[in-house]
Amino acid sequence: MDITPWLKSLEDSGMATTIRNSAYLFPFLEAAHVMALSLVFGTVTVVDLRLLGVASKDRSAVRVSDELLKWTWGAFALVVLTGVVMFTTNARVYAHNTAFLIKMALLAVAGLNMLTFHFTAARNMNRWDRQAAPPIGKAAAALSLCLWIGIVFAGRVIGFTTTGAEAKEAAPPPSTTNFDDFLGGGPSSAPPAQTAPPTAPPPK
Amino acid sequence: MLPTIQSVHILGIATAVGSAFMIAMRVMGWLGADQTLGQTARRYGPWLTGALWLLLLTGGLLVLAEPPRALDTVSFWLKMALVALVAMVAVVFQRSMRSQEPAWGAGAVPAGVRWTAAATFLVWIAIIILGRLIAYDQIWGRVFPGLKA
Repeated sequence: MDITPWLKSLEDSGMATTIRNSAYLFPFLEAAHVMALSLVFGTVTVVDLRLLGVASKDRSAVRVSDELLKWTWGAFALVVLTGVVMFTTNARVYAHNTAFLIKMALLAVAGLNMLTFHFTAARNMNRWDRQAAPPIGKAAAALSLCLWIGIVFAGRVIGFTTTGAEAKEAAPPPSTTNFDDFLGGGPSSAPPAQTAPPTAPPPK
Repeated sequence: MLPTIQSVHILGIATAVGSAFMIAMRVMGWLGADQTLGQTARRYGPWLTGALWLLLLTGGLLVLAEPPRALDTVSFWLKMALVALVAMVAVVFQRSMRSQEPAWGAGAVPAGVRWTAAATFLVWIAIIILGRLIAYDQIWGRVFPGLKA
């Protein structure tokens, strides 16, 4: 199934157009995304290290995960919201970006990992409330840490591989946006001749 | 290389903000009330300090890699001022923690300390925003206009 028309309609939406035409909205969306993901990563790490028995060993595993996961989900909702909104501004480019696809795959694996944990080690959490998780729980916690680190890396690479990239038949850049500034072409980072192809701008 | 350093920098931010969040929430009594404030500070304080050193290292490398990108933006210098502020708050907090632990541990955290914890967390949010804005120097303007032209 070809989803290109649907991706194009996302880009043509009023919201996506407004964001593209603003010099401020996208940076603040990115900042909110980083802020919320910091809380997701921070709270997930606290729970994972507790499961592994590395930190907070003397605390109840049930309590640590119950009181933190609320915050994880709240922050995750903000990450998804800002992520989806940013996606619509350049949907066709993101949808074909390798780093983006890897990130989505890692997120899917993280979701499956969480489900597996929920239906295995977490079922008798009361039994190991004051100790490290059983092996399957430890494996889920270790995998979770690796996945979230990978998700952050893949996310940052998206910015380096999509900035300034446009879908082939996209509209010309809006006049209110100074793309030279977006591309970060400072004296040291950009060669004097600005002849780099538009799909490979200097990273930001 | 640059994406890798930036990714490690973001992981450092997440660790620092996560730790600051856990301490601030405990000071306000919203999370981790099964632990004393002292236990909470000893659990997350070292992670916060460690993350701050990692941020200094990776941040330093990022500046060295592209000096004008950072040094020429207002966002960068505002961010540095706020970083100095939270680092000072962290040091003062850890010190007063040591002398006040018996009193605070008994549940009587002064209102001033609670307000400081909440305000400090907001400063962390501002640091994240300013950090991302360094890439968009048209927003706050440049420190040395004309350098780039």
